[in-house]
Formats: sequence, structure tokens, C-alpha cells
Amino acid sequence: MDRGLYVAMTGAKQIMQAQAINNNNIANVSTPGFRADTVAFSSEPIYGPGYPTRVNAVAGNSGTDFTSGVMLSTNQPLDIAVNGKGFIAVQGADGKEAYTRAGQLNVDDSGVVKTATGFPVLSESGQVNVPPATSVTIGADGTVSVVPLGLSAAAQSQVDRIKLVNPPTASLVKGNDGLFRTVSGTKSPTDENVRLSSGALESSNVNSAQSLVNMIQLQRLYEFQIKSINSTDQNEQNSERMMVSG
Amino acid sequence: MNLALWAAKTGLDAQNTQMSVIANNLANVNTTGFKADRPTFQDLMYQNVQQVGAQSTQNTQYSTGLSLGTGVRIAANEKNYLQGSILQTGGNLDMSITGQGFFQITMPDGTLAYTRDGSFSMDNQGNVVTASGNPLSPAITIPITAQSVTIGADGTVSVTTAGSSKATTVGQIQLANFINVEGLQPTGNNLLVESAASGAPQVGTPNTNGLGSLTQGSLETSNVNTVTELVNMIQCQRAYEMNSKAISTTDQMLQFLTQNMQ
Repeated sequence: MDRGLYVAMTGAKQIMQAQAINNNNIANVSTPGFRADTVAFSSEPIYGPGYPTRVNAVAGNSGTDFTSGVMLSTNQPLDIAVNGKGFIAVQGADGKEAYTRAGQLNVDDSGVVKTATGFPVLSESGQVNVPPATSVTIGADGTVSVVPLGLSAAAQSQVDRIKLVNPPTASLVKGNDGLFRTVSGTKSPTDENVRLSSGALESSNVNSAQSLVNMIQLQRLYEFQIKSINSTDQNEQNSERMMVSG
Repeated sequence: MNLALWAAKTGLDAQNTQMSVIANNLANVNTTGFKADRPTFQDLMYQNVQQVGAQSTQNTQYSTGLSLGTGVRIAANEKNYLQGSILQTGGNLDMSITGQGFFQITMPDGTLAYTRDGSFSMDNQGNVVTASGNPLSPAITIPITAQSVTIGADGTVSVTTAGSSKATTVGQIQLANFINVEGLQPTGNNLLVESAASGAPQVGTPNTNGLGSLTQGSLETSNVNTVTELVNMIQCQRAYEMNSKAISTTDQMLQFLTQNMQ
């Protein structure tokens, strides 16, 4: 049996996985703050008796595309978008600090500021809490100020400041919950230069045209792999037939 | 199951749900006190196939991993509580709230519901009721002898009766507010009810404690922005088409596989 068959088989399997990543990007074309996953193939030579003539393909995320999405104006006071580089610190389900670009925030019944996906937003000292208020405003540096219920606008007071960080993107990985964490697991320090726009959300950064072209390319590559499985099969059949007639 | 197919399928589902939300918003463009809904998209869990940073040997680590996303879902559907425009109607018992707060309505089962729809009228007993006949809370009864009804910015309801030049106060409208208004649960008929997420109502006199003021003879219109909704609709349609294309492409790949592997 020619092992070329298996090389083509792994190729086809990995391309199907790459197509799954690409389809996931397309499915998240409307998810605010979503960062597209990118795919890279690496070659894995098979060592064994004889020469390593067979090289399998292995798909991997080469990581995440961290380019910015488009700013969508929503006029909601609790919608924030990070201008340029940086992330909003939130508390993941494991209680540890994680980072996101999705700034669709709201205040829950106990006054905790949470993302739309239910993760509490963090400040330097813990969760951001706001008292019952007439208005909540988030400043460009993450400062949260409120007009407490029952007081006039002149009583505007600062309650907390959302932690904004700017770790090198190479040190970040996307977790299974879609939040980013540092590879080393350490907390990233606050970066004073990260700026927010309030009343806006950042769109997904999935480039729909590019994703569609990738999709077509992956489809054709897949067909190449299947073709080579087919050809290998035919070679086998032909050689068997030669043996019989000889 | 093929993940590529299912990831695209979740995209179709989510865009379909978004379209329902947009259609509902557009259908309620003339509904008094209606607040537009907004779907919240969230990426689904990732499947970790190869852990990034795992040891590839004792001394080296994988610099990249492989985590496959499983698609998208609509995690929540949140109302946008921006103020709608104020429409002058001249109706005696029409009221609009400028600012925060909700009218409290007593439901037939005795519980309270909340609304921004201030188009009230009178029943045969003179009680102030909503268009569906549910009374305002605290209850206000307009005497049969009333010649005119005046509602102040602070919710004081006063009437003048025939033969008297002096107005008499017959009631005081109170508004309720919540720490998390997005947590209120819409129940239809322009009503919202308290939920575990909204917190308890904080009741007060209009125009005090950060509550809005009342304007008699006007109604708050729906805050649906038709331009935004139409743009969202175009975006939603294109995203739907892309996901559908992703399904057909994956299908063609599988078809190619089955046709060529015989």
C-alpha cells in the first residue's frame, strides 16, 4: 500500500478543519469585537524506515487577526469601543482576568457592570460597581462616572475606572470562551494610552470578501487532495492489473 | 458531524433571529413608548484540538495551537432605552415621560407591570386605565363632575368641577425606575415586568430623584430608528447569504468526496 494515500488523506482532513475555522469566522461576521482566526498549515515529515519522502500537512491556528474592526455608532451610553490598540479587562468564568474587545456593557441588578456575554468588567481593584444612578458615563480613559439617583447633574461623581490594557498581541491566546488571555497566565498591567469611544461598538474584523475567497480556495485544495487519493488508488489498481496479466 | 457545516448553520440561525428582531422593530415603528430591541451576538465555545504553549518536547513548546470555533449564537436581546420623540396629541389623559421611569400598571392578577406608553383613558367608573383597561397604580379616579383634568410635571392630577374656580387634587402619579432597565422582561401590550435581573422597582414622584417629568397632552413615540434598522437588515441579509454559501461550499466538498471515492 502506498503511503501517499495517507498523505493526501491528512491533507484533506486538515483542509476540512481549515474550512471549519473559516466558516466560524463567517458565522461571526456580526459579533461585536470578534477577532478572526487565521489558519496556517505546517508540514510534518514522517520518519521511519527508509527515506522521509512522505510529509503530512498539519493545520494550526497561526493565531488571531488583531486588526481593528469598524466603529458602529449606537449612541448607547454603556457601549464602548477601544480606539486603536488595547483591550478591556473582564473577569472570566474561572475568576481570572481575561481581555476582550466587545464593549457592549450593561449594569446588572446588583450594580455590577458586565459585558453583554455576562462577564464582569474589571478595574484595578476588582469588579466595577455602580450605585443606582440617573446616568452612567464612561470616559475615554475608562473612567466611570455617575449621577446618583436623586441628585442633580452637578453631583456627578467618579466611581471607578475600567482597566484597559495593551499587551503585545503575540502574547495573547483566545480561550475556549472567546476571551483573550496571556499565554503565561499573568495579568497585563494597565496601559494609560488606551482610549475608548463611548456610544460606539467595534464590529467584527472578519473580512467577508476575503473569507469567501478563502472558502473557494480551500474547496479547490480539498478537491486536489481527493483527486490525489483517487489517482493513488488508480495507480494501485493499474499495477495490480499488470501483475495479473504478467 | 462536520464542524464546517455546523459552524455555518449557527450563522444562519443567528442571522435569522436577527432578522426577526429587525422585523419586530420595524413592525413597532408606530407603537407608543416602544423601545427597539438589539440582538447580542456571541461566539460559541471553541474546541481545543491542539493546546497552544503545550510542551512539544521536554524543552520546546508549540508556538501555535489549533482551536476550532463552533459558530455563533444570539446570547441576549437587549432593549435600547433611549428617549423616543414626543408627539403632541392634545389628549387630556395622554402623558409622556421625559427622562427615566415607567408608569405602574395594576394587572388583573394584582401584580404590577411597567410601561412607557402614556396613552391613558377613563373607564365607566372614572378610573384612569390603559388602552387595554388595566388601571394605573396608584389608582386615580376622576370625579364625574370634573370639567377639566390637569396633570402637572410632577404627576399631580387635579380637576376643576362645575361651579368652582379652584382646582382640587385627585391623585398623584408615581413612576418606577430600575437599576438595570435592560433586565425588564417585555410581555407584550407595551408592558414590561420586573425580573431577577432588573432589581426591585424604586418608586418616586416624577421630576424628583432622577425620575423624568410628565408632559400632559403628548405621547412618547417608538424609538425605532428606521434607517438603522434598514441598514441592519441589509447587513443581516448579506451575512445570511455568506453563511448559506459556506454551507453549500462545504456540501460541494463532501459531495466531491463521495463522488470520487468509489
